[in-house]
Amino acid sequence: MAELSDIALVTQVAVLHNKKAFDQLVRKYQSPVRRFFLNQTLGDEQLSDDLAQETFIKAYVNITKFRGMSSFSTWLMRIAYNVFYDDVRSRKQTDDIDTSSAVRQSSNSGDSNLKMDIHAALALLKPDERTCITLQLIDGYPIDQISKITGMNDNTVKSHLKRGKEKMANYLKENGYDR
Amino acid sequence: MTDKDNIMIEEFFKQAAQQQIEDNGFTERVMKSLPETSAERVRRLSRLWTIFCGVVGVVLFFVFGGWQILQGLFYGGMRMMLGWLEVLLVTAPTTEISVNPWVVLLLLAFVLIFLPYQIARKLYVIQ
Repeated sequence: MAELSDIALVTQVAVLHNKKAFDQLVRKYQSPVRRFFLNQTLGDEQLSDDLAQETFIKAYVNITKFRGMSSFSTWLMRIAYNVFYDDVRSRKQTDDIDTSSAVRQSSNSGDSNLKMDIHAALALLKPDERTCITLQLIDGYPIDQISKITGMNDNTVKSHLKRGKEKMANYLKENGYDR
Repeated sequence: MTDKDNIMIEEFFKQAAQQQIEDNGFTERVMKSLPETSAERVRRLSRLWTIFCGVVGVVLFFVFGGWQILQGLFYGGMRMMLGWLEVLLVTAPTTEISVNPWVVLLLLAFVLIFLPYQIARKLYVIQ
């Protein structure tokens, strides 16, 4: 079966209630969504998968609300962002997530040292800074898209990026990455 | 922040940006846990209602002797048709009626080609 565009797949889900089309969307976007959560939770795979699952369920339930004003991936990442911050608020564990990062490192992959470094570096950032930094440097979104995903205005995003990058640069220098 | 710092940060995140997470059954888990939407609930109830009505119809058909009623209707219809034909033949005009063959052809084309085409087109569009 030829690969359909996101809009065609969303239409099939919204109008014809075609679950196979939604299956294709999940397969296509599971990696970026789960990676986004892994970076926000500093490597907590179980929590990341739970939040990613909740994100896709919310996307499915609200798929008729997708108007195509932005790309499907931006719309999905906005849901992911809201799911993450709802979870943080409901657990009231923002501080725990920030401080317990070193304990929760993922350990089942070959490049775990790099992941540890990235998560340790991300742990130095405030949640909003971390979100902006990962959306730009890992997920590759431009500032206007980050603004749409997070609901912050462009200048707030820019200042989070600036502060976050300064902290990252200091961390990398302290750990000998500038040599 | 210098350009060197920016390059260093981009290099640091480069590998993380290329990381692809294997599905490993995630999609199946999501698909299994999807809730029933209101539209799906309506569709399911509608299907159940159709089945219920069908079953009630079949039961009533046998309870009230549906075959006899159908037979009666069939033979009654046959008798009525024969009666109508008889009346038509007896009272048919003896003078010739002129029929325009083009009109007949047009009517035939409308009934045999255009109507089936329209129906097929609408069915195709709906599907």
